[in-house]
Amino acid sequence: MATGLAAAARRSLLLRHSWAYLLSGSHLSSSAATAEGLNGGDGGGGGRVKIFDRDLKRRHRDRAAWAMRETDALADAVAENLLDRLEDCRKAFPSALCLGGSAGAVRRLLRGRGGIEKLIMMDMSTDMVKKWQEMENATDDGLETHFVVGDEEFLPIKVSSQDMIISCLGLHWTNDLLGAMIQCRLALKPDGLFLAAILGGETLKELRIACTIAQMEREGGISPRMSPLAQVRDAGNLLTRAGFTLPGVDVDRYTVKYNSALELVEHLRAMGETNALFQRNPILKKDTALATAAIYQSMFGLEDGTVPATFQVLYSCAA
Amino acid sequence: MRRTAALLLRYSGGGGGEGGIPQALADVLVCPLSKKLLRSCEASGSLVSDAVGVSFPIVDGIPCLVPKDGKLLDHDQDKSEDGSTKDSFNSQ
Repeated sequence: MATGLAAAARRSLLLRHSWAYLLSGSHLSSSAATAEGLNGGDGGGGGRVKIFDRDLKRRHRDRAAWAMRETDALADAVAENLLDRLEDCRKAFPSALCLGGSAGAVRRLLRGRGGIEKLIMMDMSTDMVKKWQEMENATDDGLETHFVVGDEEFLPIKVSSQDMIISCLGLHWTNDLLGAMIQCRLALKPDGLFLAAILGGETLKELRIACTIAQMEREGGISPRMSPLAQVRDAGNLLTRAGFTLPGVDVDRYTVKYNSALELVEHLRAMGETNALFQRNPILKKDTALATAAIYQSMFGLEDGTVPATFQVLYSCAA
Repeated sequence: MRRTAALLLRYSGGGGGEGGIPQALADVLVCPLSKKLLRSCEASGSLVSDAVGVSFPIVDGIPCLVPKDGKLLDHDQDKSEDGSTKDSFNSQ
């Protein structure tokens, strides 16, 4: 009897909690909620779970804007593969939105595909957007391009206004991937196309292993050095849950060879893909870093002295 | 040649003069928090979302719509700006 009562009390408490939650969630227009979104949001999305530090990612991308090379073979290969799908569509997409990540590569390799007349390029980082604007001034192909600084988790695009949304290697840094996809679907016109490339769970598995072993060896414990990434089946489920019809996901794996693991980290930095977890350890000891490089070299090194790094890319295509 | 034309267009306000951003872009932008339409405030060179009372800056012709970059408007200022919008609607 007593247990039954306690259970009932607990249930009513739970109910009250969920009510409070609902109430606080639904009042977006009140100024208190706005203040939370502006200041207390900590770069988090609409979801409660905060995995990535979006402000830090923004600074990473600022740094990447000047650290990146003119062309990046990996980004170009992914962008080319993504844009290749447009040749299979008979439909033209007059207005398109291109979200963060390597949108510069997408813009450069577009070459009139998809019948795009008006392109909006959006990124979190002002410096990155300015860099694209400079690149845009250098190209000359009569495409009307606009630039916006915006967050994928808070998409500032009008409902059903775009024919196509492309996101090339950007969405894996969102806290709320589902929410971001839902916002994309809402911004799309009916029968609009959503094309996205995100990094999958197999990405940088060599570095993950090397980091873990080196940290165990030198520090006697491990800290998260790499983001959790989506698996193939997650990507399909996410597209369906976001309400897309005709979801399609396929996987490609790229192996990039570097002279050493330190060069790999340099490349990651130039792509703005360095660790931005909230629970990261901000200190990386020099000997741990060097041990990681040595373990990487000895475990995965090839005969010619180079080290391979795997990048698994999930291509999602949905209407 | 084309680049010059584009530059001229940009500076002559051919794009609508919406505080520096082209009309085609202003048409599709909404407030990132409320998804309501934005109002351009030419005096401060920013986009204002009346629904949540936040203004977003326009830097070098690039609208900056990250929620963290927005500034909460003071209530009085908000009111007076509301009044001015109504006036301008009437005059239109």
